[in-house]
Amino acid sequence: MIKTEDICERIFALAKGVQTEAFMVHSAGALTRFADNEISQNVYNDSSSVSIRFVDSGRTAKITLNQFDRTALERAVKTGLETLKWQKKDKNLLPLAGPRPLERGRNVFSKETAELPPLYRAQKINDLVRTCKKNGQIAYGTLENGLASYTVANSRGVFAKHLESYITYSVTVRDGDGFGWAETPAATAGDIDFEAVNRTARLKAAMGRKPRDIKPGLYPVILEPAAAADLLSYLCVFGFGGQFYNEGSSFVSGNLGKNLLSPRLSIEDNALDGPAPGMPFDFEGQPRSRVFLVEKGTVKAVVHDRKTAAAAKTASTGHSLPQPNGFTPFPLNVSVHPGESSVEEMIKNSKKAVLITQFHYTNLLRPLSVEMTGMTRNGTFLVENGKISKPLKNLRFTQSMVKAFRDVEAVGRKAELCQVWGRLSCPAFKLKAFNFSSATEF
Amino acid sequence: MFKLATKAIEIADKRKADFADIRIIEDRRQDLSVKNGEIADLNDRVTLGFGVRVLHRGSWGFASSSLLSARSIELCTLKAFEIARAGTLIKGRAARMAPEPAWQDFWQTPFIKDPFAVSIDAKLELLFKMNTMMAKNKKIKSAVCDMNFIREHQWHMTTDGSKIEQVLLSSGAGSSVSAISGGDMQLRSYPSVHGGQTLAGGYELIETLDLAGNAERVREEALALLAAPPCPSGEKDLIIGGNQLALQIHESVGHASELDRVLGYEESYAGSSFATTEKLGRFRYGSPIVNLVADATLPGGLATAGYDDDAVKAQRWHIVKEGILSGYMTNREFAHAIGARRSCGSCRADGFSNIPITRICNLSLMPGNIPYEELIASTKDGIIMENNKSWSIDQKRLNFQFGCELGWLVKNGKKTTLVKNPTYQGITPEFWNSCDAISDENSWRLYGVANCGKGQPGQTAMMCHGNSPARFKQVKIGVKSN
Repeated sequence: MIKTEDICERIFALAKGVQTEAFMVHSAGALTRFADNEISQNVYNDSSSVSIRFVDSGRTAKITLNQFDRTALERAVKTGLETLKWQKKDKNLLPLAGPRPLERGRNVFSKETAELPPLYRAQKINDLVRTCKKNGQIAYGTLENGLASYTVANSRGVFAKHLESYITYSVTVRDGDGFGWAETPAATAGDIDFEAVNRTARLKAAMGRKPRDIKPGLYPVILEPAAAADLLSYLCVFGFGGQFYNEGSSFVSGNLGKNLLSPRLSIEDNALDGPAPGMPFDFEGQPRSRVFLVEKGTVKAVVHDRKTAAAAKTASTGHSLPQPNGFTPFPLNVSVHPGESSVEEMIKNSKKAVLITQFHYTNLLRPLSVEMTGMTRNGTFLVENGKISKPLKNLRFTQSMVKAFRDVEAVGRKAELCQVWGRLSCPAFKLKAFNFSSATEF
Repeated sequence: MFKLATKAIEIADKRKADFADIRIIEDRRQDLSVKNGEIADLNDRVTLGFGVRVLHRGSWGFASSSLLSARSIELCTLKAFEIARAGTLIKGRAARMAPEPAWQDFWQTPFIKDPFAVSIDAKLELLFKMNTMMAKNKKIKSAVCDMNFIREHQWHMTTDGSKIEQVLLSSGAGSSVSAISGGDMQLRSYPSVHGGQTLAGGYELIETLDLAGNAERVREEALALLAAPPCPSGEKDLIIGGNQLALQIHESVGHASELDRVLGYEESYAGSSFATTEKLGRFRYGSPIVNLVADATLPGGLATAGYDDDAVKAQRWHIVKEGILSGYMTNREFAHAIGARRSCGSCRADGFSNIPITRICNLSLMPGNIPYEELIASTKDGIIMENNKSWSIDQKRLNFQFGCELGWLVKNGKKTTLVKNPTYQGITPEFWNSCDAISDENSWRLYGVANCGKGQPGQTAMMCHGNSPARFKQVKIGVKSN
């Protein structure tokens, strides 16, 4: 492990009084990928880098490098300081932040998980592959684990360091023309129920055989957590980022305090002790706040960094991404509050609905209404008269998320951690109306 | 560098690897961005590192590090062997590499003006000038102007004797404005969004774009879109070209013809392909005028190099010939699956830290024989769509939906009304079979895709798609939303 404190001090000394920030990243991770019931790719990477940002009287520059010897650092600082000279002063450019007290945040590091060897991953995958082969199914997916450490320090006295481990098990199973999928990300291996992931993906694939056509149009939908998280992540990023809010390109702009969404929907960003935890500080080393974005359908607040907060005449919520940039901050540790239902109950209480496991290739069409398109994938079913009646061929949706999440009929009581734009803990949802604009052939 | 690289090859040979290679890469990137009169990015990045790939008893192992020393290379090579050994726990197909001559060569992207020798001052001056012009209206809430330059210096050695040094250079620039008024938001860009226009070459590419000369037009078109009627819904003849047709080629032909995903090796993430191998040589992908050619030798192409990351020499081949599926993007591992004795050379990695995977090469639609003006004049009821705004396609590359920045209705051979939020949907083979006219070589240009994502862990690659505007009959446009 690199001694980050020493490198930061060396950089600040070389900068000779110019305000300087060092953002260091070290990652060491492995990923085993499998397809067609065999291991197809198996990789490991260990790398580090430092981004050095200089701010001097309204001028800024950044240099990024991954070699830390004295010569490399000297060259980097010299180049950065020279770049400052060529600029005109920007009167709006903020000086670097000073230090503020930081909460510890939740421990999300397990050395054992970070260092799980390739044989561990191969054995877990082998368990799935053996069962699939026995049942005429084909397994695809990934098992990855590793660590990432982030250090933000500056010459004004900020020093913040965060270390986390990760493991994600993702499985797609093919059974004839049926596909199933399940995925669990976690900070420690002990939090993953490998058999449950395998079982869900295999069962969905078996249920998905011989999918039928359905006429595109408006349907009630039951979104499993991963599907709901995909859509809600767009709602959060394009709705609740301070920059978009300030520019007027968010549906929240000018509407704080208004009931724009369903009273069943509550969303908060909480990197500290929420169910989607992360760094307890932002990329300027400022403390992350808990921010209630939506409370029972009312849009309450957006997230800010120092720059967007100053423009909005409010306080930073500690959501800066690496500066400078022209599009952030975003909420990246989002918790969607659970409700009182379950997927089984949603199915039981539906006369007709489409049950969706996962979306594929979602994309934004119109930011102001968070209108999106995308395809269903790996388990789309028709629910009729309280039961799953048949598997469906995949469908394309074209739908405003602001409108879709205005009519929420039920929210699941169990939230699952999903990896979308950052981390998002999300339950299942039943929405009253969702527009499918076309179908595909499988 | 080759002296250091030899360490990995020696270890691999001693341990009797089926195949192994090492790629040492020094990468320099410069990103500049100005938004609303302020610097939004000004980053100069230099990274150095290596990746070792080992094929041992038919199983792959790959390890990489940013710590470049003989000891680090030794440890990484041993780690790659450990990973490959673990892979043999699951008995499957033994991977093997298609043969390729041993190449010893140096290759570099031709350029006129080294972008890293052009001062930051000059670059910022142009960006600020353009940005000021674009932002000159109260309804413009966001004006962004970018430039980016990448130089990748590679040293590649393989156990089958190749020793290749390459220097790849690309330059790009772009600009966009967002106009907001009355609950509507409209985007217009030049040359395009998604990083603008990027091609292989030097700063001369930036100079040919005339960024400042287009700034006012882009601003006025964004404002005009606010007042324009929405794109009608229904079926019309669709005319697309530029970066929109480039992305159509990319998504519905490029990815669909990557042999690894055709064979199912991308199923867990990006998906597979409808263009399965039994269709090779017989499937009617498009109308007889549709010819799509992959070309790693194309001047200016972002995927143009002397050799790919499998150490395969650059080639040119048809993916679709006279409308028939005729080839795939291949690497050395999967080439034999279609009976090929040699890979076409479409295997690349993102930097030193990633394993090479099958990638889209430069893939271009060959020009037709009708001038663009005649193509419009011969359209009775159609729509021209320009500049991509959104994109989505299913996991077999069949059902797609694209949104563009603007549309022009065409009535009885004339461009008439400007419309906003144009979208179109289709199914890949139906769409390409509906292509009834392609403009001639006078309007054929090369367009860069600099942000193609694929693989796990995620990798980014760059490629180009040349085209001249083409017409597609009776396409579903103006997709209705709820």
